[in-house]
Amino acid sequence: MSMQAISWATAPDGAPATLVAALHRNAAQFGTRIAFRERKFGIWQQQTWAEVLEEILALAAGFESHGLTAGAVMTLIGDNRPRLYYSMLAANMLRAIPSPAYPDIPLEELIAATKHGAPLLAIAEDQEQVDKLLELREATGRPEVIAFDDDRGLRGYEGQSPGGQGLVSLDSVSEAGRKRLAEEPELRARLLSVARPEDIAILLHSSGTTGVPKGIPLSHGNAARGVLNAAASGYFRQHDELFAYLPIAWVGDFAFIISAGVMMAGVINIPERQETVLPDLRAAAPTFYLAAPRAWDQMLTRIQVGMQESTPLKRKLFDFFMPRAVELEKKRLAGGSPTFSERVVDWFGDKIIRAPLRDWIGLARCDRAYTGGEALGEDTFIFFRALGIKLKQFYGQTETCALTAAQQEGHVKLHTVGRPMQGVEVKLSDEGEILVRSPSVFSGYFDDPESSAKSLTGGWLHTGDAGRIEDDGELVVLGRVSEIVHTAKGERYIPNFIENRLKFSPFIRNVAVMGAGRDMLTAIICIDFDAVGHWAEERAISYTSYADLSQKPQVHALIGTVVEHVNSIQPEGLRIRRFVNLHKDFDADDGEITRTRKLRRNVIETNYAVLIDALYAGDQECTYRAVIAYENGEKGEIVRRLVISEAKP
Amino acid sequence: MFYRRSGIRHTRYQSERQLFPLGFDRFLILSVLAVLLAAPFLFDRLYVTGYLLPWLIWSSAALGLNLLMGGAGQVHLGYGAVMAMGAYGSVHLMRFGAPLELAMIAGGLISASVGIIFGAAALRVKGIYLAMATLAMQSIVDFVISQTPAISGGALATLQAPPARFLGISLSGERETYYFALLVCAVITLFMLNVRRTSFGRALAAIREKDYAAEILGISTLRYKLMAFWVSSFIGGVVGSVLAICYLRAVSPDQFHLDLSIQILAMVIVGGLGSVLGPFFGAALVLFAPILINNALGSAFSTFGMTVPIDLRAHLPLVAYGALVIGFLLYEPYGLAKIYSNVRTYLLVWPFRHAQR
Repeated sequence: MSMQAISWATAPDGAPATLVAALHRNAAQFGTRIAFRERKFGIWQQQTWAEVLEEILALAAGFESHGLTAGAVMTLIGDNRPRLYYSMLAANMLRAIPSPAYPDIPLEELIAATKHGAPLLAIAEDQEQVDKLLELREATGRPEVIAFDDDRGLRGYEGQSPGGQGLVSLDSVSEAGRKRLAEEPELRARLLSVARPEDIAILLHSSGTTGVPKGIPLSHGNAARGVLNAAASGYFRQHDELFAYLPIAWVGDFAFIISAGVMMAGVINIPERQETVLPDLRAAAPTFYLAAPRAWDQMLTRIQVGMQESTPLKRKLFDFFMPRAVELEKKRLAGGSPTFSERVVDWFGDKIIRAPLRDWIGLARCDRAYTGGEALGEDTFIFFRALGIKLKQFYGQTETCALTAAQQEGHVKLHTVGRPMQGVEVKLSDEGEILVRSPSVFSGYFDDPESSAKSLTGGWLHTGDAGRIEDDGELVVLGRVSEIVHTAKGERYIPNFIENRLKFSPFIRNVAVMGAGRDMLTAIICIDFDAVGHWAEERAISYTSYADLSQKPQVHALIGTVVEHVNSIQPEGLRIRRFVNLHKDFDADDGEITRTRKLRRNVIETNYAVLIDALYAGDQECTYRAVIAYENGEKGEIVRRLVISEAKP
Repeated sequence: MFYRRSGIRHTRYQSERQLFPLGFDRFLILSVLAVLLAAPFLFDRLYVTGYLLPWLIWSSAALGLNLLMGGAGQVHLGYGAVMAMGAYGSVHLMRFGAPLELAMIAGGLISASVGIIFGAAALRVKGIYLAMATLAMQSIVDFVISQTPAISGGALATLQAPPARFLGISLSGERETYYFALLVCAVITLFMLNVRRTSFGRALAAIREKDYAAEILGISTLRYKLMAFWVSSFIGGVVGSVLAICYLRAVSPDQFHLDLSIQILAMVIVGGLGSVLGPFFGAALVLFAPILINNALGSAFSTFGMTVPIDLRAHLPLVAYGALVIGFLLYEPYGLAKIYSNVRTYLLVWPFRHAQR
């Protein structure tokens, strides 16, 4: 490429300074490379960077006609769709602020999530999301304009009063934009040049484990520097194959897929639907893959269930090779090197069992797999490493673009989250809280100077995580500062740690461990319906529903053995003495977990106060009146009799 | 276990419909093809001309019959007669000086035009009755050929095939004839692989399942049944001429009797109705199993020093061969191709039991 091609905003080192500049660079230098690949109608439809840039320019011009201006917030709601991503980048061209929301968000939370910046323009994926935005408009009077991607089921809406006003398709927006671009010759150059590194690239929201979500703005500079620093640490590579299936409102999707994809000119593969993520992952075979601990656990459960019902020979081979691979991986992590015979067994195990499994998951080509967001069970972690997927932990917050620290191959330890990335400074406060300073740290919450000042005291981001730094510079995260609790006897523990150990069992999907200020630990357990259901079918135990299955004596015994196994590795004072199987799974719609599947302890403790009292009162069972919210918003009540079991210490 | 499916992503519907989307299948096919291509240089000439050459020709014939039986569901007991017409037709044409390329096609056309007449019976009769009608065709063609001196040269005469050239290459040598048969077989195999993806192939499948249901769906059974007979007979005629010119090198009426029809029918059924791979397995089993069993029994008898009555010695291999065929069909009624497909699926979903989500 000739030098005159460099007409985008660059940082001192020559790298693009904003996402818009990076887009421009990609279109100029890698114009014929595939940028986005979306599975639609069964095949992968691809667009090159040059095509993508034109589409984004057209959308930007179209949005401007609809009144999107610098500093205005634009709400996006829906699954991962290329045009939702294009819309975000188009808003960036106008210096406007895209603010994505989770697609399954209920109305009340949506109202809270769209209060920042009072967005007048909203982008919806499909008819379902349009309906939600119309409800939002009924409640708050905003947004005035709703643009939708997929017009299926929306034919009757346009022109229909009052809902149909201001309803436009993204097709028509981009067509109008294209017309403008053709008519106004200077528009293109302006759209490509106005974005500044300090402009907000995206407005995200804290998951709100405690209280109302806060608006977290991340600038182009945060994203661009963060990705480049991470790349310098070997985290991202040029032209990675990425897989965009994480919720667009999660920082992981923004930092690891969009920012990394645009900055490093990767290929962003998008699955057809949420239901087809697994087969699509296999078809896409990404080279970089990020999944939440929950997803790794689910994948492990699927492998375990699949192997349990496999044919005898295959099962025997799996049972022979996998435990040996796990042992070998443990040995390697402890710094040992394999003996000759271990190497031979390992080679055959890889060819016979592990390579086909990696292929089946779709991570055969993946050389960087990461997990983060919360702690991943040790056994799951080791299993996937033993499988040959070089799974590593990363550590980060929404406030730092999730790019703070990551493990490096060769320095992977079970209890650390790795070393700070290049350009990231990490230190501990006197109270043991982890403090971070880096180019990817945000510059304050949206419209909330008080919280901003508190979390950025002294120019360092206060993460709220308790941690320590080992002698070799590896960072250890112990848990949330606010989550460390003590039993009545003064034993210090983090419930999340015990919960993760319990959740390693395929039979347990969710669990809440209680015991703060009490004399013993108890647990509310939500069984995994698929795994326990399959287990019950194999033993000819008939059941009708989740509630029925969870209260079967055999299921209680099954969960009891899992609890006992975890108890056996817990210190004496921190063993679970009593537990109850809940009649339902924790549900984000009931507020019991966040949309990123973190427990909301205060909600659980309030909702299940009767149950918790019964657990500590030594009752054999508990009659629980469950308030249930129907989809139409009505509330009803059902009475459940829940059996409480004792666990052997 | 050997199959890898991650990273296979189709950006066009055409690529999604390719014959072998999986790398390992392609690898297997290319390996077999490479071995077949190198065979004249790798193996003793006895094996090439005595085993591989007839295997290719009989497989080609079974493929042609399989289009009719497995593809369209029409029984045919007179395929030997179809091949006879092709063989005689092309040999006569070549004796009149026609080139092989033309004679082969003409032989196919003769078979097709006669075959379609008997195929017309299929428009009125089905199943066992159609079997009788085609059996009648076998007898009639046999009779006509042997009783017409203009065709056969007399009831006991043998008609020498003149030396042939194909695309300028003389087919007198063994290697040349082998490659020629391989080429014909490859072309027919490719046709059979692709025919299932065409509207013609789908129409045949509809007729196979239920002809009047197909008619209700708007498929002209008249047209497609006749087309099935025409195409199948054409292939039969072409393979008949290849058989006469490359392998037999002389034709006499007794080579194309009911035995040949039944032999090819057995290849199709043992191999697997409707499968492209089946005829190859079927032909291998039907052609070579008797020889192998005979040799095995012979060496077993001599090793253990048993004196076996000559009658038993002659018939025991046939008994074993019959038992083998019955055993295979009892174990897997859909034929050897289905056994292969079961093994393939077992490896495809490795290490699980089913193809999971």
